[in-house]
Amino acid sequence: MAEDKPAFVFPAFISDYREDPSSNIPAFNVIFQSYLNTAAACTDEKLLAFHAESNPLIEDELLNQYLSYIYGCSCARVLLNNGVNPGMTAGYSMGIYAALFIAGSISFETGLLFIQKAYEAIRKTLLHTHYGMCGVIGLSENDIGEIVLNSNLNLMIVNRNSEYSFILAGDSFHINVFVLKAREEGALHARSIGVTIPYHTNLLEEAASEFSKTVFTADVHSPGIPLISVLNQVRIDDIALVRAEVVKNIHTPFNWLATQQQMYALGISHFTECGPSLALYKNSKFISGSGKFVKWNTLLKLSFRLPGFPDP
Amino acid sequence: MAKITENTRNEVRETVFSFFAEECEADKSQIKDATNIIKDLDGDSLMFLELIEIFKKKFNLDIELKTIGKYAVKHPVETIGQLIEMQLLIIEHENRLLELDK
Repeated sequence: MAEDKPAFVFPAFISDYREDPSSNIPAFNVIFQSYLNTAAACTDEKLLAFHAESNPLIEDELLNQYLSYIYGCSCARVLLNNGVNPGMTAGYSMGIYAALFIAGSISFETGLLFIQKAYEAIRKTLLHTHYGMCGVIGLSENDIGEIVLNSNLNLMIVNRNSEYSFILAGDSFHINVFVLKAREEGALHARSIGVTIPYHTNLLEEAASEFSKTVFTADVHSPGIPLISVLNQVRIDDIALVRAEVVKNIHTPFNWLATQQQMYALGISHFTECGPSLALYKNSKFISGSGKFVKWNTLLKLSFRLPGFPDP
Repeated sequence: MAKITENTRNEVRETVFSFFAEECEADKSQIKDATNIIKDLDGDSLMFLELIEIFKKKFNLDIELKTIGKYAVKHPVETIGQLIEMQLLIIEHENRLLELDK
């Protein structure tokens, strides 16, 4: 059981900061700037041009990946500094790097290295950049399967968010066709995601193999708090499992619905999303279970008033 | 086919207004029939889905999400008032919603 501590969950790479819950929180700004400076020195000084109001780095996938990681680490660190300790953690898609960092499994710099090397391996091994991903809400898995089959699309479901919310990846032309067909078939929402990499598909197997050279030589520790795999929902509790998860996460479909339900089953009653969006918070309303999401900034505000983990 | 009474209409209105006030952290008194859900309230499709689920439970509705989606393609909803009218049609016609266009 995870006592009554919250789970810290980390979203995937995000470039839209309009829902940024950290605005006007000085404690966050100080830590974010510190991490940003470190990341700029380790990776790319263009990161210093970032500001949340109008993200000028929005067109650069790699820089945005760094920023999402920095943001997630900063959110979690602020909570930790205010006495809110996680009982469990998980990373949605590439949110795994921030989850590993906050679990004490990798250093901040190793997280940056993983993001950089994964991206380089993908760009080196993918044949072209005509790939994409999309989200669809309101259709069942069977409905999606029929569209893919009947339209002869080379796509696969790479994540189930809830009973009626899925992520697909594959060829970008096929993604565009799918989005149109899904709308015709009654999807409440179907939209391409602004990426050119088909994450979580077997198209990235070669990239994962290349990336593994970095992962298997990096300094990795056993997680200090329970870390739940989004691939198979088991607890990742040793170094070998961490390394395997980081590599497989690149080219293997995942299941966020099952992951959140597993965390409920393990005794988690509260979640907070450590990131600039409210995507996981909103999605959680469609996942049955006894727990609930608390917005990151709400949890932080409550932590000023109550010792330990506050009851929201 | 369910009959839409004045009580039903009032209940739907109250549910929709309260839902968006809470979800969007908006002042309920500032939400009007003409309020644009996306532009004024920063609403999204997940909120729409959540509202549908609320009404499915409240009125024990037999309707597939994709039926609502197909109807919405032909009858896009932009304002709170339009959303209330669509919810009333969903309650009244359930899975026969698309027959309205025949």
